[in-house]
Amino acid sequence: MKRALPVFVLTIAGLIPVWRYAPSTGTTTTEAAEIAPTPSSTTSSSPSSSSASPSASSSSSASAAASQVVKGSTVNTSKGAVQVEVTFEGDKISYVRMLQQPNHPQTTAAVPKLIEETLQAQSADIDTVSGATITSEGYIQSLQAAIDAKGA
Amino acid sequence: MGFPVSLRIDDEDVPEAAADGLFAWLREVDARFSPFKPDSEVSRLDRGELAADGLSADLVEVLGLCEEYRVATGGAFDARLPGRGLDPCAVVKGWSVQRAAELLAASGATRFCLNAGGDVVTAGGPWRVGVRHPERADRLCTVLEITDGAVATSARYERGDHIVDGRTGRPATGLLSVTVVARSLTEADATATAAFAMGAEGIEWAAAREGCEVFAVDAEHRVVRTPGLPVAT
Repeated sequence: MKRALPVFVLTIAGLIPVWRYAPSTGTTTTEAAEIAPTPSSTTSSSPSSSSASPSASSSSSASAAASQVVKGSTVNTSKGAVQVEVTFEGDKISYVRMLQQPNHPQTTAAVPKLIEETLQAQSADIDTVSGATITSEGYIQSLQAAIDAKGA
Repeated sequence: MGFPVSLRIDDEDVPEAAADGLFAWLREVDARFSPFKPDSEVSRLDRGELAADGLSADLVEVLGLCEEYRVATGGAFDARLPGRGLDPCAVVKGWSVQRAAELLAASGATRFCLNAGGDVVTAGGPWRVGVRHPERADRLCTVLEITDGAVATSARYERGDHIVDGRTGRPATGLLSVTVVARSLTEADATATAAFAMGAEGIEWAAAREGCEVFAVDAEHRVVRTPGLPVAT
């Protein structure tokens, strides 16, 4: 975490750390100091911007006249306590932000040295296929359908 | 927002009700979280019919994940695009299928392979998971070996330019497909979708996420992958 922090400040200035990392199931030890406020909906820090400090965009008290900010109750999810704050513009929601998230450290690591390869078109013995298979037409044509037909 | 679900269980003594429970959960998720159903919790929230403290714990968790990835991608991944209603589908899919796999494990299954719309969760492998070639539906571009984990792929080949870069409001076109391997499908699916929304720079972004391995094909048909990708031999 100590090493990740400076990188984080440089790359995502003005934005909160992301605490939750799904596989870990540690208990929630929420500390007030770590619940940094999220930026308001108008903040549009670019990832490379390093000018803004994370604490600069301190509050999202939405400035529009008709807006209303409502805090949700704290709920305990499988990953820890979560609380949302919802901003209404009239009766429409304009923004949702997290007041509490499970206290898991942001887990950005260094970028590993990436390997470049040529695109292959192969067939092989497989158990299943990962791919964007959302429509039924796509499924019918897919290798997964063939695997399912074989197993049925 | 239906998608095909394939389930293979290799345990001998898992009750059939376990699979029924899995499909019942996925139907429940569709009813509660689909933005295309006017009476879903998501639609009601979007119309302002739910108070913030009236949201279910599940919806709060989903909104938290949406916000987490929006922040982590500098806004490229956004469930709340300007001019559109709340659409948390990109998070709900991986999250709900991961939960389905956990339900299955809780009912005693230890060796299974669950595929929901091309997103895969496995337990008790090794399982050989092919990655669909981005331009040929009948071919693979790599084969992975996964024991206990998840694989998700985001691509343009099936629904076209449906993933929007929230920073520009325009369809993401920098990648043909990106596949992410992670411990959970919640992480794998959201990371794959978010990386796809970011375009070419999404490859390094996803590669830097703890526990994620990446296989990507960019618009020039170049393949880039992380060294730790579990390629099958």
